Amino acid sequence: MTNAVRAGRAPAGTTTSDGAAGRSRRPGPGTRVTGWLVLAVAGFLLPTLLGGSTRIYTTCVLVAIFAMMSYGADVVLSYLGEVSLGHTLFWAAGAYATAYFTVKSGWGPLPSLLVSLAIAALLALLVGLATLRTREFVFSLVTYATAIIGLTVVSNVGGLGGSDGIVGVPLLTLPAIGGSYVARTDVDIWPIAYVLLVVVIFFIARFRRSRLGANALMTQMNPGLATTMGVDVRRTRVLVFVVSAPISALAGWLYAFQRSYVSPDLLSASFLLFMLTAVILPGRRQLLGPLIGAALITAQQQLASFGGDVDKIVLGGVLALVLLVSPNGFAGLGRLLVRRRHPAAEASPAATAAADE
Amino acid sequence: MILAQLVNGLALGAGYALLAVGWTVLLGAARLVNFAHGQLYMIGAFLTFLVITKAGLPYLAAIPVAVVAVAVLGGIMQLLMRRLTLDQNIVSLMLVTLAFGYLLEGGGSLLFGGNPQVIDSPFQNAGMSIGSARFTGQDLLIVILAFALYGVTWFVLGRTNIGRLVRGVAEDPKLAQLYGIDAAKVYLGVFVFSAACAALAGAVVAPRSPILTSIGFDQLVITFLVVVLAGIGYLTGGLFVGLGLGVFTAFFGAYVSPAYSTAAAFAVLLVVLIVRPQGLTAR
Repeated sequence: MTNAVRAGRAPAGTTTSDGAAGRSRRPGPGTRVTGWLVLAVAGFLLPTLLGGSTRIYTTCVLVAIFAMMSYGADVVLSYLGEVSLGHTLFWAAGAYATAYFTVKSGWGPLPSLLVSLAIAALLALLVGLATLRTREFVFSLVTYATAIIGLTVVSNVGGLGGSDGIVGVPLLTLPAIGGSYVARTDVDIWPIAYVLLVVVIFFIARFRRSRLGANALMTQMNPGLATTMGVDVRRTRVLVFVVSAPISALAGWLYAFQRSYVSPDLLSASFLLFMLTAVILPGRRQLLGPLIGAALITAQQQLASFGGDVDKIVLGGVLALVLLVSPNGFAGLGRLLVRRRHPAAEASPAATAAADE
Repeated sequence: MILAQLVNGLALGAGYALLAVGWTVLLGAARLVNFAHGQLYMIGAFLTFLVITKAGLPYLAAIPVAVVAVAVLGGIMQLLMRRLTLDQNIVSLMLVTLAFGYLLEGGGSLLFGGNPQVIDSPFQNAGMSIGSARFTGQDLLIVILAFALYGVTWFVLGRTNIGRLVRGVAEDPKLAQLYGIDAAKVYLGVFVFSAACAALAGAVVAPRSPILTSIGFDQLVITFLVVVLAGIGYLTGGLFVGLGLGVFTAFFGAYVSPAYSTAAAFAVLLVVLIVRPQGLTAR
């Protein structure tokens, strides 16, 4: 049992730093694929390895859901370099669309998933077009504005349940060989949550290597240069936004089933702060960063909670502290330590990557 | 009816303008942002309440106590953010102040509890009227203070040596430092001023309705609206847009739907940004 965890951790470190630095010694493709597979299997078995209690399963399911939610914000924050304060809108859109179509229209989980993703993408397209010419804080303010319009709408529209939300989301039932798979408890939801999380991480890994990902980074670092190189900066910004939204909506879809109700609190500042902290805490532009961040915050809130108000202080305090001490998160902190100890080591990218662990 | 809504709207709008003056200066003069502005307003309101109820001071004496305390709090925040400010790292500054706001809200709930409280202001009980429009002494106080504060700020920024220092740093922090201006001190001063304004707004606007620790969020939302609609950092624009927004909210609330007035204001903001991204009053 312990061996499986250890075996899973070693490749995790190498692959993360590999993705972060991009220039370090790359293990062969075979080793990397094997490493990822071992990590994936170990991750799936994690709740069992941690004791397999219902509480552990719930925590793991929530980590997966919140990590997916945070990956949506990560795409915009890490690669476009803009702070979207509107991603709770897409997350809530996914959850609300799911609850609305399953409860009020009696749809199945899969059609409601497709509609959720489509609605989120459409909203993102509208927000993206509205913010086309805004940058930095104006962009953040306007994305925040859209989330507030969303909050007002869901709190007041009768069909969406007003401040009570929509209750009684049916059990998540998926077609399976020999009948159907019904997710009655978090233990049953875990395989679904885990597979979706892996799919999202795989998608993010592809995005990082895609033309759009490269264009987004260039747009962030030097918009002038990007334009000179033939990158349509505005188009890139809207596209990245549209790509990011369904990721958060996917998390919302699953959350509606996991919690079996939706309410306007999905649009509250706590989910917003959660996703931003999950990205910032481990350091931006780390493939597994949002997952690690979400795991740390969820573990604290689920297993070591001090009550709502103190949890607010913890979340706000951690985010502020990380940004003030090391704006690049844990990754930056590691680099800072190496630089203090061996000033020469900074020159070698491999050493920098090693410090990330 | 129309006159009543107009008077109501102007009082509301003067409150919005009073709240936004700190952010306007922050953005225009220092390119700084502070997402904890609404929470500073909330702390200002609750400190005013505490000083009146616990220390037994009269309302007018409680205001300066709350303003000074929040100014000190703002000073501490800016000292912590000093490096990020000097680097002009806007993304990190936005996130840090957002985190500070959340921290203040959690701390506020712990300290002040979750029950709505009422600030006992003598002006709130003084009823006045013009024709059919009724308003309170508190409304009058807010309008007078808003105009006075905008006037003083406009004068200090535009006509004095302090204003020249601030404008110099706003223009180019690095170059200003070459000329011997201590940019860190200027940023500190601007931030403390902004925090004090938020607390002042909290102390005079909040007595109009019961206060909760969650009000900071709503106030932040209003600040955004005023500042972005006016065009980033335009001082006189802030005053007029604040007043206009108050009148808009009052009329929309009276004739269409009070529940959707904030959303409607934001919808206006979205339209304005698409048509005129630089804001309404900016050149």
